[in-house]
Amino acid sequence: MSTQESNSGPARVIPNWESCIDCGACEVACQRTWDLPPESDRIQVVALGHGTEEEANKPMQCYNCVEAPCVEVCPTDALRIRDSGSVRVKADMCIGCHYCGVGCPFGAPQYPDAEVPNAEEAEPMGSRSGGLMDKCTTCEPRQEEGLEPACSSECPTDALLFGTPEQLSEKLDEDGVSTPFNDEAAEIVFGEDADEIMGD
Amino acid sequence: MATEVTFDLPYSQWNWQIGVYIAMIGIASGAYLMGYVADLLASRRDAHGHGQVAKYGYLVGLLGLVIGPPILLSHLATPFRAMLIPLTMTNFDSWMTIGAYLLGGLGLGAFLMFVWVAFGRNRPHAPERADSGAVAADGGTERDAARAATTDRTDGLRGVADRVGLLDLVDSLADTTRPSETVRLALGGVFSIAAAGVLIYSAMAYGSGMTERVALWDKTFLLPVQIFSGLGVGLAGAVGLAAVAGRNPGRAVRQYSLVIAGLLAATLAMVVATIVLLPGQSPAAEPGINNLLTTYAVPFVGLAVIGGLVVPILLSVGAVVGQRRDALSPTAATATYATVALLAVVGKISLALSYLLAAEFEPLILPL
Repeated sequence: MSTQESNSGPARVIPNWESCIDCGACEVACQRTWDLPPESDRIQVVALGHGTEEEANKPMQCYNCVEAPCVEVCPTDALRIRDSGSVRVKADMCIGCHYCGVGCPFGAPQYPDAEVPNAEEAEPMGSRSGGLMDKCTTCEPRQEEGLEPACSSECPTDALLFGTPEQLSEKLDEDGVSTPFNDEAAEIVFGEDADEIMGD
Repeated sequence: MATEVTFDLPYSQWNWQIGVYIAMIGIASGAYLMGYVADLLASRRDAHGHGQVAKYGYLVGLLGLVIGPPILLSHLATPFRAMLIPLTMTNFDSWMTIGAYLLGGLGLGAFLMFVWVAFGRNRPHAPERADSGAVAADGGTERDAARAATTDRTDGLRGVADRVGLLDLVDSLADTTRPSETVRLALGGVFSIAAAGVLIYSAMAYGSGMTERVALWDKTFLLPVQIFSGLGVGLAGAVGLAAVAGRNPGRAVRQYSLVIAGLLAATLAMVVATIVLLPGQSPAAEPGINNLLTTYAVPFVGLAVIGGLVVPILLSVGAVVGQRRDALSPTAATATYATVALLAVVGKISLALSYLLAAEFEPLILPL
């Protein structure tokens, strides 16, 4: 898909979960491309329907939401929506309050340098403290070179679709699949374009 | 078919430090507000009795802010950056930003009102003023100035300041900066707006902005819980300290003790309503409610509900009844009011921690 921005909105990566085979190539591609430490999860294969017959592992990452909840709750304006439409964090303004982690319904904000105790040490008081926020950048430097984000370009089954809302809509129609978003999620991610992207 | 994303269950973005912070700012704002009410009443009747509650209300407000925000800062990745509030806290859509400025206003107000009420030769509600009428009525016997001055210097907080050699300096500063009584009370009213804001913020801080992904923190129930508990526990702290300082709890302390019982009873009613009604209104809250009643039954049911609400309510009412029937010595009454304060504070912290630990993050349901 094209890396060009169109009038219909910014380019972003969204998952086509029906094609995902849980190979983890997206995680590896992201970490290798940006030389990230193993604890970084800018894209993360997460458990869906845990404990049910439908249990599966699928990729989740920042969708650069039009109505970004993380931007709304960030007290220091460290999170901003750029003119390009991508949501970016300025590390030198982040105070590590984890409010964005509470606000994001997709689990996109990560805190790779946070103190995260082991599960047995976390009871009954613990969880995370410290750690500056880090998130998917939609590989903007790669986009500037005319390349797709690393995760979508290396996904062997085209389970990560990249493009503007218009392009994504066409692609989903071609494949005869829906986005993984319900109405509420789609409105957060696509804003006023939600109906158009979601289609029928 | 719709199913859930379970990438972050149970809820784990914030740890115990956030719970203690929220509890402390709730206590601080409640104590300030109740202290201000006592301050207003002191100008009309029983100046010393209400004045003591006002003074210790402001003190509890100050102590809550000395303890709470530093605990929050210790949770942050860059606490020093966060302390540069005017430079860093710029997003007024965020409750954390709003809360930071409200806390600043409350901190300034609690400090000024406490210093103006507790220090200075011309401070309001001082014992000399309260006693002056009795002295005049008793045939014009002059008060022993030297003895009064000695008592004044060794009384409670002033005694502490005297022992470290700062009393004269603080007295002088308080008298120099204190405005007229009308202006002082008006300023106290302005700071009360900040205190009320902090009380609301103590509920809104539990939240995720517009997405509201933690159903247990439904504001319909959480707001009244935080408001009633903040006022009740803050007042309990002020009354407990006033009782300990006076050693002989008087009528004002008994009156406020009944107010404490009422506010804690209102808190209890809202907590019970949360348990009973919230799952019906928001099914996603059911796992969180279950966590409160099972995994976190000790801090929630034991420490917060029974230890922090039921027992203090019974003790508050019991102490008042006991004192009225002369069945309780001043020492026993003092110990009871102090116990109420201690239990209420521990209960408030346990309640805040329980709401944090039992909460479960509700991701958006994504159709597979």
